[in-house]
Amino acid sequence: MNLAQIILIDGIAYAGWLFLVAIGLTLVFGVLRLINIAHGGFYAIGAYVAAYAIGASVDAGFSTGVQLLLAFGGAVLVGGLLGLVLERTVLVRLYDHPEVLVLFATYALFLMLEDITKLVFGGASLYAFQPRNAFGMVDLGPLAYPVYDVLTVAIAVIVALGTWFVLNRTRTGKCVIAVVHDREMSASMGVNVAAIMTGTFVVGTMLGAFAGAVTAPKIAVNPGIGVEVIVLAFAVIVIGGLGSIGGAVVGALVVGLARALATHLFPDLAVFAVYAVMALVLAIRPYGLFARPIARKI
Amino acid sequence: MKNRLIDPTILAVAAGAIALSFAYPAMPGWVTFLLQIAIAASLPALGCMILLRAGLLSFGQGFFYFVGAYALALLYQHFGITDAFLGIVVGAVVSAVFAGLLGFFIARYRGIFFAMLTLAITMVAYGIAVKMDLFGRSDGLNVGRLTYLGFSPSREQSGFALFLLCVWIWAVFGVLTHLYLRSRFGKLISAIEDNETRIEYLGWSVKKAVHINYMVAAVLGSAGGALVAASAHYADPSLSYWTTSGEFVFIVLISGQANVLSPLFGSVFLELMRTYATAYFPDEWQLILGGVMLVIILFLPSGLGHLFVLGRRVLLNRQSPSQTGPRS
Repeated sequence: MNLAQIILIDGIAYAGWLFLVAIGLTLVFGVLRLINIAHGGFYAIGAYVAAYAIGASVDAGFSTGVQLLLAFGGAVLVGGLLGLVLERTVLVRLYDHPEVLVLFATYALFLMLEDITKLVFGGASLYAFQPRNAFGMVDLGPLAYPVYDVLTVAIAVIVALGTWFVLNRTRTGKCVIAVVHDREMSASMGVNVAAIMTGTFVVGTMLGAFAGAVTAPKIAVNPGIGVEVIVLAFAVIVIGGLGSIGGAVVGALVVGLARALATHLFPDLAVFAVYAVMALVLAIRPYGLFARPIARKI
Repeated sequence: MKNRLIDPTILAVAAGAIALSFAYPAMPGWVTFLLQIAIAASLPALGCMILLRAGLLSFGQGFFYFVGAYALALLYQHFGITDAFLGIVVGAVVSAVFAGLLGFFIARYRGIFFAMLTLAITMVAYGIAVKMDLFGRSDGLNVGRLTYLGFSPSREQSGFALFLLCVWIWAVFGVLTHLYLRSRFGKLISAIEDNETRIEYLGWSVKKAVHINYMVAAVLGSAGGALVAASAHYADPSLSYWTTSGEFVFIVLISGQANVLSPLFGSVFLELMRTYATAYFPDEWQLILGGVMLVIILFLPSGLGHLFVLGRRVLLNRQSPSQTGPRS
């Protein structure tokens, strides 16, 4: 019984993190119809900016709240600005290109972002454990858990609810949904499609950088964190159904729980859990859990 | 019908292979090594090209690269079999069997789902190879001096023998692939991208065609893997990491998909770039690679091979300006 609880807690904590990483990716896919590999780069940049900000504010003697505020704010700002620049200069020229080329253009951006991050922040690992340690531990049933990790899940829930609210209860959100469904029709109804696309991409990169910033206090921030994350985030949104926010929630939960289950019961298989679950889901639902099948054209 | 063997591509492959074989003594060591690695990488890229022509993006060619390399290395390390040709054949058979089995599942998927599942396969292999002693864990396995159908070259000859192996294995696979792509079944490949439903109305099975092309790509990938293991003298799990597979697709994007020779050009271009970039800008290699990739995608979306087309167009225009040249 105890083990089941531990697996559940671990799985949910991991799922919260996975959702934060994947939400920007699925949002961008939904609106722009492009698979943004550069998302991993924005994640890494967010993590670096956050680690740097936390390091600097610890030196300056700021309190934990200010540390996190600076870290998150800085990461989101840098991620958003960079996203805006890249969308306006590069991606905007690519929207008519075939899917594969756009995918590889974002892969190229990812490679460049990785090296630029390394050039700016250096190749050494950055550590920013202070805020996480400051929050201390909390007893969750059988085990003591870092409060920060619980907060991560709370943040994920807030982000999910916020995204849902913006998409479904605001005018802008409804325009976004209209663009997702039919780009040309929305344009003819007076929706500024280009602005919606740019905006969504910027929000997506902000979310990517934010995910990195939230993660920074939990890990050693070093070059290469982006590569690992991107595959996981893809698995999550493929399982959930590309472009679906609800799918990203379910996908994150499925992957999170599968991974926690594997880590505790079959540690050797933990690496494969993500891929096994993805193959299984796709075997049953070829387009992911929450995606509408696409009609075949004759 | 023209004689099928007199074909510019086949002639070019044969002439190139003969020329390279004779040019070996004149080439410095780093050039022959670069060529060997480029030749090895171009075979899985050729497989990617076939799949891309069908509109399928594979992020898993690295898996078959890995199988080919480890077939050679495992035979060498654990069975004491040093024959290069046997290693290549075993790798190809094992790859074909893997692809044949996985294909039943994979062939149903298109687009990003095909990409993700192929990626999953290659990453699972990577995970296994890193953990198992049989595969030498993350250090990989060494491959020593190979023999060729009973002929065992001396230390001085072995470099030349290896070079000949790479060149002629490529020539054989290149010509076979060219004949395959020119055949009726090969012509079906680009039709898969255009419109699957129409193919089915014509009485072909798209699923079967994808399955078979996946196997063809697998065999090409494993041959490349054997060559890279023989050339680099080791095989390590990173061959199966998804970024390796990404590189193969990138090679095809550099070169374009016009011809079986295209991936070879792309591969040589990539290796040259890697050699110079790592020599002069060791820390910014990815930045340069990404930058070149982006420039090619933005300004030459059909690949560098398109330069040939543009060049020919310019030449033709000069000869007969009345046809297409702008008139004021």
